[in-house]
Amino acid sequence: MIELVDLTKRFKQNEAVKKLNMFIEKGEIVGLLGPNGAGKSTAISMMSSLVEPTRGDVRFNNKSILKNPAPLRKIVGMVPQEIALYDDLTAEENLQFFGRIYRLKGTELKRKIDEVLEQIGLIDRRKQVVAKFSGGMKRRLNIGVAMLHDPALMIMDEPAVGIDPQSRNYILETVKRLNEERQMTVLYTSHYMEEVELLCDRIYIMDQGNLIASGTKEEIKQILSAEKTISIKTNRLNDRFIAMLQENPTINQVIAGESEVVITVPKEVNMFPKLISLADEAELELNSVNVQNPTLEDVFLHLTGRALRD
Amino acid sequence: MIWQIMKKQGLTLLRNPVQLLLLVGLPIILIAILGTALAGTMNGEPSAIDVKIAVVEHGDEEEQVNRFMNSIENENALPPEAVEGTQASIDGLMPVRTLKEDVFGNDDLENMVDVHEAAPSEHDELLNDDTYTAVIEVPENFSYDMLEYIVLDKPVQPELKISRNETQEIGGSIVKGIIQQYQEQLTLGTFLSKNGMNMGAVELDEESITGDTTSVDQKSPVTAKAYYAVGMVVMNVLFLASTIGSMAFLEKKIHVFDRVILGNMSRWVYFTGVLLSGMLLSFLHLLIVYGFAWLFFGVSWPDIMAFFTVTLAYAMAVGGIAVLLTAISYRFNSELITNFFSGIIVTIMAFIGGSFFPIGETSEFFRKIGNFTPNGAGMSAYLTILRGDGIPEVWHHVLFLGIFAMVAIILAALSFPKRGMSA
Repeated sequence: MIELVDLTKRFKQNEAVKKLNMFIEKGEIVGLLGPNGAGKSTAISMMSSLVEPTRGDVRFNNKSILKNPAPLRKIVGMVPQEIALYDDLTAEENLQFFGRIYRLKGTELKRKIDEVLEQIGLIDRRKQVVAKFSGGMKRRLNIGVAMLHDPALMIMDEPAVGIDPQSRNYILETVKRLNEERQMTVLYTSHYMEEVELLCDRIYIMDQGNLIASGTKEEIKQILSAEKTISIKTNRLNDRFIAMLQENPTINQVIAGESEVVITVPKEVNMFPKLISLADEAELELNSVNVQNPTLEDVFLHLTGRALRD
Repeated sequence: MIWQIMKKQGLTLLRNPVQLLLLVGLPIILIAILGTALAGTMNGEPSAIDVKIAVVEHGDEEEQVNRFMNSIENENALPPEAVEGTQASIDGLMPVRTLKEDVFGNDDLENMVDVHEAAPSEHDELLNDDTYTAVIEVPENFSYDMLEYIVLDKPVQPELKISRNETQEIGGSIVKGIIQQYQEQLTLGTFLSKNGMNMGAVELDEESITGDTTSVDQKSPVTAKAYYAVGMVVMNVLFLASTIGSMAFLEKKIHVFDRVILGNMSRWVYFTGVLLSGMLLSFLHLLIVYGFAWLFFGVSWPDIMAFFTVTLAYAMAVGGIAVLLTAISYRFNSELITNFFSGIIVTIMAFIGGSFFPIGETSEFFRKIGNFTPNGAGMSAYLTILRGDGIPEVWHHVLFLGIFAMVAIILAALSFPKRGMSA
């Protein structure tokens, strides 16, 4: 359906996106994962024809959209990270305004507004000005606006950022429902690993403008198939214990937090006795030691040495 | 779609009470404050200054004038022709009556000065009455002595005695100035008569003691309230341009403009929407504030067609500024230009254009520069209409506003970025 070929964007000295290659098939939910500043928003802006790439191409149904973006724009619904709504207008007035932009009018526009308000659960709030909405309601309306013209491809840039868990679940369920019921293709960017794990069939992971991993959830987790992750919790970590872990040749990676340290070791190694003796030596009391199946967060940690929300 | 953009701009403004108050309420308040405070500096309306004067005459002027006429007839002090001439102009030779009726009673001063004639017995009581600005004491033989001084060239000029109330500084100064000028005029009359010139010159030049006038051609003077109504409106409507510029930039910042672009709508539709919103809202803004000025301050327009023509031309210029500010802020992805415009440029333009005071009267250079600003041109056109002129006299200002609008729109079109986020 849509393909990015060696897509690059340079802003003065900063290369925000470096030779990005990715594709999205019809009916898929694809996740684009990465921390803040990874280049996700720039990438999707180029994909949606809002930003001109410095190099590379965006192809829609095997045709470049750089010179003629109209066919792509017709089928794209964009949910920006910002609340792209008019605070002083009511929910209905916002939908009317954006509906007219998508050339809907008369009874068709009215029907679509009712339908969208129903889908995003704001039918009773249609006459209320957006300024009086909660953060979650604004996010839902932000999505609703992008749904007005029944887009075949929905590009969502962190649509659930900064809202309560209930609203977030509502949004995730809405996305899933749109994909299942209407075969809507979705590109979902986030730095919340759990959202992407829950929703997406395939995942692209970006960091510092580079694509560092891609594939299905299982394929990506396979990156850590030969290893396991052990989380060690203590009352308070000390430098001596961390130094001893880092010096241990069996341990591949050590990520230290305030009271928790996560280590990656080969799957066949039994680390428990060693960990207990190291803690004794460092005069540290262990609260818990958990062996975890690798998560996407672990993969990201493994690939970049940093947590997603750093 | 353009209508949808304009409707949305209108609704957004209407639902923003602070913005509305600043745009519509502020100029009305400023007109009231400046128009009242500076009313005395301009012609055409009652003054805020109230002067109360008591005139205490110790003698009878008519008796003194008769006595003087008898004496010049009997004593043959003057040739018969000069005596006849003096008799003919006897009405103008009564200095106290001239002071009371012609000086304090003239059209310009009678609203400001309240003259009370008092008996000599009231003199001390009047001096203790703080409501009086000044007490003018006419000595017993004042008129006779004055006529001797004027007609017979006697060396001593009699003087009026003025007691001023020091708590009413401005009023007291005004009275002193009037009396001084009155006495100088009498002296001038003596000089003229000695040199064989017209005795009519003895009469006071009433025009010379009135205040400044804002009218250039003296057709119909502009009142302070009318002046500041125009000054404040033409200045304030410029803030509407920056408000629309800010609203448009916010649309870019929160990616509403991206949605517009992704809707496959031409950026020129959006551009035109901003331009027409600027024009329409400015037009309405001008009408609303002028409407208030008409209702509450009595600022009316002698030629309504000329008024609408100038208003339309000025609204076009403001729309041009609005779309130019929008385009530049989109181009540089920064609201700096809009803030700079509303914070600095509007004040400078208002100053040069004459919104704060008639700067054009201080120098020809400022007048010309002022007319090269849209607000200055608009203001000159409005004031010309208020003075009673019509479209032919304001046509060059209307043309300038039209050209200004066109240049602003062309510059805006050249600056407007091609895509949503990319500069």
